[in-house]
This record gives sequence, C-alpha cells and structure tokens, in this order.
Amino acid sequence: MDFTLCLTQRSRMVDSKRMRMTSNFQWPLLTFILLYLMSQVNSQKKGAPHDLKCITNNLQVWDCSWKAPSGAGHGTFYEVCIENGSYSCYPSEKTNIKIPALSPGDHEVVISPLRDFGSSISKFILSEKNVSLIPDTPEILNLSADFPTSTLHLKWSDRGSVLPRHSNVIWEIKILRKKNMEIVKSVTHNTTLNGKDTVHHWSWTSDMPLECATHYVGIRCYVDDTHFSGHKEWSDWSQLKNISWSPDSQTKVFPQDKVILVGSDVIVCCVTRDNVSSAQIGLTKCPLIHLDGKNVAIKIHNISVSASSGTNVVFTTEDNIYGTVLFAGYPPDIPQKLNCETYDLKEIVCSWNPGRPTALVGPRVTSYTLFESFSGKNVRFKRTEASTNESHQLFFQMLPNQEIYNFTLNAHNPLGQSESMILVNITEKVYPHSPTSVKVKDVNSTAVTLSWRLPGNFAKIKFLCQIEINKTNSIQELRNVTIKGVENSSYLVAVDKLNPYTIYTFRIRCSTETFWKWSKWSNEKQYLTTEAIPSKGPDTWREWSSDGKNLIIYWKPLPVNEANGKILSYNVSCSSDEETQSLSEIPDPQHKAELQLDKNDYIISVVAKNSVGSSPPSKIASMEIPNDDLKIEQAVGMGNGIPLTWNYDPNMTCDYVIKWCNSSRSEPCLMDWKKVPSNSTATVIESDQFRPGVRYHFFLYGCRNQGYQLLRSIIGYIEELAPIVAPNFTVEDTSADSILVKWEDIPVEELRGFLRGYLFYFEKGERDTSKMRSLESGRSDVKVKNITDISQKTLRIADLQGKTSYHLVLRAYTDGGMGPEKSMFVVTKENSVGLIIAILIPVAVAIIVGVVTSILCYRKREWIKETFYPDIPNPENCKALQFQKSVCQGNSTLKTLEMNPCTPNSVEVLETRSIVPKIEDTEIISPVAEHLEDSSDAEPENHVVVSYCPPVIEEEIANPGLDEGGGTSQVIYIDIQSMYQPQAKPEEEQENDAVGGAGYKPQMHLPVTSTVEDLAADDDLEKTAGYRPQANVNTWNLVSPDSPRSTDSNSEIVSFGSPCSINSRQFLIPPKDEDSPKSNGGGWSFTNFFQNKPND
Amino acid sequence: FLLPAPLCLLTMLLPPLSPGDPISPAEPISQAYSLALYMQKNTSTLLQTYLQYQGSPFSDPGFSAPELQLSSLPPAAVSFKTWHALDDAERLGRAQGAFQALSQHLQLVGDDQSDLNPASPILLAQLGAARLRAQGLLGNMVAIMTALGLPIPPEEDTLGLVAFGASAFERKCRGYVVTREYGHWTDRAVRDLALLKAKYPG
Repeated sequence: MDFTLCLTQRSRMVDSKRMRMTSNFQWPLLTFILLYLMSQVNSQKKGAPHDLKCITNNLQVWDCSWKAPSGAGHGTFYEVCIENGSYSCYPSEKTNIKIPALSPGDHEVVISPLRDFGSSISKFILSEKNVSLIPDTPEILNLSADFPTSTLHLKWSDRGSVLPRHSNVIWEIKILRKKNMEIVKSVTHNTTLNGKDTVHHWSWTSDMPLECATHYVGIRCYVDDTHFSGHKEWSDWSQLKNISWSPDSQTKVFPQDKVILVGSDVIVCCVTRDNVSSAQIGLTKCPLIHLDGKNVAIKIHNISVSASSGTNVVFTTEDNIYGTVLFAGYPPDIPQKLNCETYDLKEIVCSWNPGRPTALVGPRVTSYTLFESFSGKNVRFKRTEASTNESHQLFFQMLPNQEIYNFTLNAHNPLGQSESMILVNITEKVYPHSPTSVKVKDVNSTAVTLSWRLPGNFAKIKFLCQIEINKTNSIQELRNVTIKGVENSSYLVAVDKLNPYTIYTFRIRCSTETFWKWSKWSNEKQYLTTEAIPSKGPDTWREWSSDGKNLIIYWKPLPVNEANGKILSYNVSCSSDEETQSLSEIPDPQHKAELQLDKNDYIISVVAKNSVGSSPPSKIASMEIPNDDLKIEQAVGMGNGIPLTWNYDPNMTCDYVIKWCNSSRSEPCLMDWKKVPSNSTATVIESDQFRPGVRYHFFLYGCRNQGYQLLRSIIGYIEELAPIVAPNFTVEDTSADSILVKWEDIPVEELRGFLRGYLFYFEKGERDTSKMRSLESGRSDVKVKNITDISQKTLRIADLQGKTSYHLVLRAYTDGGMGPEKSMFVVTKENSVGLIIAILIPVAVAIIVGVVTSILCYRKREWIKETFYPDIPNPENCKALQFQKSVCQGNSTLKTLEMNPCTPNSVEVLETRSIVPKIEDTEIISPVAEHLEDSSDAEPENHVVVSYCPPVIEEEIANPGLDEGGGTSQVIYIDIQSMYQPQAKPEEEQENDAVGGAGYKPQMHLPVTSTVEDLAADDDLEKTAGYRPQANVNTWNLVSPDSPRSTDSNSEIVSFGSPCSINSRQFLIPPKDEDSPKSNGGGWSFTNFFQNKPND
Repeated sequence: FLLPAPLCLLTMLLPPLSPGDPISPAEPISQAYSLALYMQKNTSTLLQTYLQYQGSPFSDPGFSAPELQLSSLPPAAVSFKTWHALDDAERLGRAQGAFQALSQHLQLVGDDQSDLNPASPILLAQLGAARLRAQGLLGNMVAIMTALGLPIPPEEDTLGLVAFGASAFERKCRGYVVTREYGHWTDRAVRDLALLKAKYPG
C-alpha cells in the first residue's frame, strides 16, 4: 500500500488536472505530464525509500517498514519525520521503525535517507486505515489427552494484557489426525479480552479413540477490535502439538469396555504390529480403515442395544484374535411414579418405577440416590442385576419433628442421569400396616367391644377405621370410627346394634383421617353374641280334629332373628272366660299340641322360651264360625306361586289366614299356612313344597274377634300338566250303524290338572293294520269328537257301516296338555236287510233268465234240432273232419294225430261262485275300499267256459321255440286264470295276456327257479293270483280260509287249473306231482307285480 | 444333577487327613477316577453354557479359538509320548498343579461373570459347581500322592497380579480358556487316573 498508495493518490491528482485542462492544451500537456511522471518514477526507484508498510499486533505500536532505495548500501540511516499535530522525527538505522499509534486521520510521513546522497526523500500519507492488525501467533500452553474418554484438553493464553480490553477474539483450532495430517476438525472459539493475560481451555472428544492414531492440534486467532479501522488479519498458526499413545508390545483394541448410547456411531481400532485380516461386530464383518502403521479401525453405525455381557468387536490376525466389548444402552429413564409414604411414621418408604430398561448391568447399572433437601441426608440404592420394570424401594429414616420432606431421586449411569422430585407431608401419607391381634369382648347381647393393635408412632394423628360386620345370610355392614392415634398401642371401639345370638365376623382396616390409603384388612374374627329373650311369639294355627273334640295347635319355629337364642321349649295354655289351663312344657323340636276342649271358644296362647326368657305370647281363638255359602273355586298358579284375591271385609278385624294342603290327603290336613294383615285383599301363596301337577286345596279364613271363619275354598295347581293316564272306556252297545261308548273318570292324582275335556277319535280299521297306529295326525278319514262337557260320560257314534271294524281312541286333556290315548277296536253288527236283498236279487234274475231261455228253446226247438242234431249229419259241417284233414296235410311228423282220430271237443259249463270279498260301502273312503269296489265291479259274476276245437294248430307246432307270449299262440286254452283273479282289473288281464306273463305257459319256456326260495312270495301271491301253473302244489293249502277258494277243494282247483290238451285229453299238469321239477316263475312274475301294488 | 456333587465332594475330601500311613493307593485312585468321570460328563455343558452367555462370536455355533491361551494356566495338551513317559510323581504333580490353577481361575471367572452376566444364575451356578469339583479332584490327587508317598507341592498363587484390570473382552476370553482347559484337564485326568488304576489295582 504505502508507497503505491501515495503514487495512486498522485496519479489521481494528475487525472483530475488532466480532466480540467483537456480542452485547450490536450496534447502538448499530456506529453509533458507523461514525461514528468516517468522521470519521477525513475528517480524514486532509483533513489527513494518506498513501499511503506505498517502493521500492529497490539494497536499501540505501529511497526512500519519500507524498502530501501536501490543502491543504498549497508549502514544507511534514515530519518523518519511524522506530522502528528507536531512534527517529530525519528532516526532509524534499519528500514523499519516502531512508532506509537497515530491519531486518526492522515499523517504525512517523510523518510529521508541520511548519508546517502544518491537517494531522495520519500513522502507518504499514513493513516490508521493503512495499518494492518495482525495478532501475535498464539502459543499452546498445554495439550493433554484423556485416553479413556478420548478427550483432548487444550490450554493457551490470550495475552490480553497487551490488547485493548473488551475486544473479541476468535480462535480457530484445527485437529489433524494420522501422520499425513488429515484435518478432522476445525472449530472456532470466541473469547473476549479482559485486559489481563488469560489462559483458555478447550476440550474436544474424538470420535476415534486417541490411542488409534496421532492427533495434532494447531491454533490461530483474529482480534476483532471494533475501534480499529484498519485491516484485521488472522495470526499465523501456532506450532502444532500432538498427542500419541505409546503402545506397549501387546496388541490392543480401543475403546475398551466403553458404554455408549444405543444408535450412536463408534470407531473401534486395533493398535497392532500384526496384519489384521478382518474385523467383525457380532456376526457382521466390517470394512477396515487403515491407520498409521498396521493399525486399523472400523466404524460402526447406529449400534444396537447390547446383551447383558456387551457387544463384542473382534479383530482377527493371522494367529490370534483381539477384541473389545462395547456396552450399548440407554441413560436412565426419569424415575416414574415416585411415591413416598410411611407405614408407621418411623420410616419413609419411597418407591418408584425405573421406566425404560437401560440394558446396562453389573458395574454399569443405574444407581439411585435419594436426597432429602431439608435435612441434607441421602440414601443410596444400587443393584447389580438388570433393572426390570419392577418397582424399586428405598427406606429413609424419619427425622424427629420433621413432617415435610423434599425428596429428590437421582438416577445415574455411565450414559447420563435423570431425577424426579417429590414434596410430601408425611403425616398425610400414612399407609398403616394391617391391624393385628383383633379381639372381641361381650358388652351385652347386642353390643361388643373390638380391640386391635397397630404398631407405629401415631401419637399426633387420628385414625379413621372401618369395621366390616358380616352376618350369615345378610349383607355386610361397614361402620366407620375415628380414633385418636397412640404410640405403639392397641385401640378399642364398641360395636353396638348387633343381633343377639348371632354369629358375626369382624375385620378392621384403618387409614389416617387425612385419607391416603386404607390398610389391608385385618384377619377375620368370628364371634357369637349372647342370647336375649325371643322377640315375638311363634306363628300359630289351629285345626279341629275330625271328630270336633280335639283342637290341634300348630306353630312354626321362630326365625333366628326373632328367637334370639336357642329355643328350648314352648308353653301352650288355653284360657276361657272362666279359667286358664296350662299344658306342660313342650320341648323344642315339637311344634304342635293337641288340646281336649269341652267347648270351642277358648283363646290359646303359645310362648317360646330360651335360656334367657320367654317370648310374648301368641294368641289364637279356637272358635270356627260357620259359613254357608261356600263353593269350591279353581285357581292355577303363575310362576312360583298361586295368586289369591278377596274382597275387603270390614268385619275381619284381625288377620287373614290361608292354609293349604294336598287335596288328595284326607281331612283334616295341613301343609302350611300364611297370615296376611287384615287390610290386604290379595296375596300370593308360595312354597317350596308345591309341585307341578299336584292339586292343592287352599282355605281362606278371615279372623274376627271370636274366631275364624272359612271364607273361600279353592283348589288349584301351581302348574297344570297333561294327564298321565287315558280314561278307561268301554263299549256299552253296538248296532249295525252305531256304537255307544262309556268311560270313567280319571283319578285326581293322575289327571294332574283341571280336566278340560275329552277327545274321541274313530275310523275304520282293524287291529293289526299298521296304518291305525296314529290318529291325531289330522287325516281326513279320522273323525274326531271333542267333548268339552266334562260331566258327559257316554258317547254314541252314529252313521256307521254295518259289520265293519272301527278303531276308537279316547284321551283326556287339561290345560297342561293331552293325556295318553286308549284305543279299542269294535266291529259293528251286520246289516240284515241289505244281506237279504243281496241274496234275493241274483236268485230272481237267475230264475227269470232260466225261464226266458226255456221258452226260447221251446219255441225254436225245430231249428235247434236241425242245426245241432240233425237226423242226417251234413259232412260239410263236420269240423272234426276238417281238423283232421288239415292236421294230416300239415305235418306228417305228428304221428299221434294220425294214430288218433279227431274227436269233437267237449263242451263243459263251469259254474263259479262269486269271489267278490264282502266289502261294504262305508262312510270312510279309503284307498283300499275304492280298489276293492273297482275290482268287484270288474269281476263277472259267473264264468261260462265253452270248449272248442282249436282253429289253427299248424303254426303253433311249426314254431314252438318262438312262442314267447301267450298272445301269439294259436292254441287257446280254457281261461282258468280269470277264475282266480277276482281282483284283477280287465286292463291288467289284457296286458298280462299281451306280455304272456299270466295264464298258462308251456313248460319248456318257463325259467327254472327254486320253488323253495319263492315260498314266501307265494304266500302273498296266492291271495291275489288264481291260476298257479307249475307252482308248488303244497302252497295252495296255505290259502286263508276267508279266501273264495277256500270253499273248493284243492283237487278241484287242480282239475280246473290244468289246461286240457287237445291232443291227449290228459291233464298237462298232474293233480299232485310234487316231484316234478317244474318252475312257477313265468306264471306269477308280472301278475304279482301288478296285483300286489293296489293292496299296499 | 448339580446337587449330589457337593455332598460327594465332602466325602472325598475327608481321606487325606491321615498322612504318613502307607495306605493302599487303590481306594483314593478309584474315588478320584469316579469323580473325574462324573466331571467329564459336565465339562462340555459348562463350556457351551459359558459361551452362550458371552455373545457373538463366542456364542456362534462351532466357536473355537485354540490360539487363546492363558500363561497362568498350564495347557493340558501334551504329546502322547511325553505323557506316557511321565512317572507317577510327575503325572500327579502336573494334574494337581493344573487343578489347583483351575480352581483359582474358576473363581476368577465366576467373579468376572457376576459383573458381565449378573442376571444369569444358571451360568454362575455351573461355574461354582465346576470350581467345587476341581477342588474335590484336587483333594483326591493329594490323597493319592499321600498314599504313594510322593511329596506334595505347596499351594501357590497361580493368578498372581494378572487378575485385575482386565478388559471385558479379556475376561470373556479368559473365561473361555479356563472352561475349555477345565474340560481338557478333566479328560486328561480321566486317562491319568485310569492308568494309575491299572497300575495299582485294589
């Protein structure tokens, strides 16, 4: 600056002159100035001091230096003259000079070299702005290291004594690591000068253990003086100081046993002279960071919480492993739920919850200190185990005459500390121990005293205690008492309003009057209070014996709360106007007494006695006031009881009594009674003895002065049930179209409810038919009669069919349901008129037909003779001859036909009885009946069979093997089958013919099946099917006698049943050929199938 | 199975109280052999339990660091030839010295683990039981040496000053070496005693 600056100022002046003179003398002047300047410059370069530069390090002395003129030899002297108000000159032998700081403003400085004649004088303008403030290079007083914590401590002086006070100083500290001086940290540190030399401290904690590598520290400063207008600059860096760890020969890993916060980053290094091949934390391998020499480090990011024994970091060399353990955990949580209380006002118990676990154990576990600020005392808590979430406790001895305590609980572990505070008035935080030694003593039958012990120093407080009084079958009662506290003593309270002769269970708990907590309950103490006289006389009732001579007094045992003790005996006395008669004492278990009374207006009194005394007497009048207009009513219970209501009667002065008994018992009977106050008009009778379905008899008595009057008599059920028996019924009379049924009452015990009526069902049916089992299913063919008039005991059922079996069922019902049913089968008598008509009409028809036929035959006798029996037969009309001819022509193989001359077929007239079963039309239309009607309609009455000569026989002979069905056969047999199928429909017959299932089949086409296997099937079959070709003849004998066939002998059936061969005149089926291995299969298969179906 | 051991040890500790008498060595050898066999059953459990509580890599399956040794604890490994050539005095003397060292080291390891794993009663109990058994076997060895008329070396403090100031990692390694060598020395003692048993049949 200095000289250059001066020059610049001059050139600026030149510039300004130039500007002014520009107009007139521009070019000649410019040339002149340029020459002048060049000469000036040259002369100064050659011979004048230049480059004046001033610096200061303390603002008091400026150190100005300049450059000597060229050619100035050694030993040149200078005179420096400074214009500073006055003009003062300083001689100098060197090219610099220290001058006191100049006042603000420009000052002319003239430097004149002395004794150097070739040099010229230099003039400079100097001001504070041209001066630089460069502080002295700071010096590090001390650099130390705390290796376990990896902390560097730096110490230096600010030399404040030479610098203006209150100046701010900025220190820059740099930290370099390793031998190649990598900058790891550069920080600034601000201080203020105080006019004295001050030593400053600065500490820095390294992320890398200091043992791992050499650390260097340098410092420089910058004085920021606000009053100084010149240029301020940083000082030079101080000399670097270093910290290094001098390793012994052993390989070591750092940091050792360090406790760190979970989630932080940490550098672990291995100081070694061997080659480290790998490093791992837990199971994770880490990349190696190479440090000086063979030292290596690893950086662990975000370390996770350690197990109890820490997290191992292991470095592996060729022949060994080295490691360290890190303990990653948490600082202690703020102690939670800190609470201080006392049991006995001698010792304070402070408890707290440690909060979040620190994961640090052993020597690193959290230690707690409980500090009381008023007394200045403290207690410590330390446990080596892992702090679980359980509550911790500390005991603090109470101080005499101190009630207010200010506790601070401090939690501390290597990672930090926390605290919580509590201010307590300990007399308000008393949580007494549970009372002990509870004792009970009698006062009287209704009061006791309770005593208990409560150890503690309670002289200054009051207790609020609760006494829990428990009585069997009663709600528990709590009574609060306030007691003045005493020192280590027992407490006594009286408990009154108890019941005599009652077992009580007492227990006690206490708190202070300023409630904090109840103590735990004391142990229970059971105590029986003493007896007192019974408070009431027993509840009494009386009954006259059936002969009316004796009066039986009943009474109920006194309830416990009225007996007031153990009842030992009862005294019964009866008194009339004249006399009083007392019976002997009746011992307790007996609760009735019988009195023989000569008249009936006595007052009987009963007194109960226990060991203390007698109860007041209960009195009851013996007289029974008659009541004429009594009727028996009915009642049914609701829920558990039977409600009874009556009208208010002002005559009834004392109370109402309802007594009841089981109605099936004989009089007098008494189950129980109930007294109702005279002003009430309704009650509900409830008793554990009531059972559903049992009839009870209730008697409502009203009480007048002189005695009791029966007001109402009621029978009732607590709940009605269905009868358990059916009414016993018999058939009194039957006719062809009606039945008279009569039944008996059901006994009350079996009725189990009020009888509401009977249900009578009837229908056609026979005993063994399966479908008769159930009648109540509402079937249309079942007729039902509901008899609601329960006095009715007979029923006539009319409009029945004659000679028909009827199924009758009778059942009783109550509101509780239907009783069981009783059934009976009755067959109505035969309708004789109908039978007669049924016989007479066919006979008459037969006679008429016979007469008409006779008349016709007689009138046409000539024509008949000509036609059927001419005197001279016409050969052309001979069918026998035609037959022979065709046979002989058709097949020569039929030798038998040739051998036997053709004979005319005989005509046989067969008469059959009607095989229609006797089925009468009925009111009840059943499927069976319909079917039977159908089949009987379809059946011809008589069956006339005319023998004939087979028209064409050749085809049948020519194709015997193809003759599968009877319909295709040209051989027509006598239709015997139809005789035995009275129930078969005509359609079915045709169908059977068409498929060949019915009628005769040549044996050669019948499938062979075992007759034995089909025996069972035959039984069914024989009822419906007629003809049994090839069937086991034995089975025919099994036909039921009521079958139409039963009238005919078996042999006749055989002769009818066997078809007649036109060739042989022999029956194809012998009458009884049991040995013949013929099958019956083809004859029944289809007919069986069709004919069985409608019968089901 | 831990309970009977101390009782059994008490009975075994009693015999050596009558020195001088040239009694038969068969009885103490037999007793020592029985105890060594019993100890052998539990050594691997102790080692596994110990490692399990030290964290990775100790607790990793198959962890083994034969390079770790303790200068204060004589290694059990010996060449068969050398071992076979030992005379009774040397054989018993080495075993006796080893179990003396082991019993002291097991105490140290127990203390270390009380700091590192204070909430692991199983580990601490096993270490305590192992120490008692080592002391029991030591007593038996002394009885055998007495019976054989051999000089009994004086008890020495094998640990010296090395015990204190060790880092947690060193303590873990130390415990590993101790529990491992306890197993090895027990195995060797079984063979030693089997040899002696054959040599001095009862």
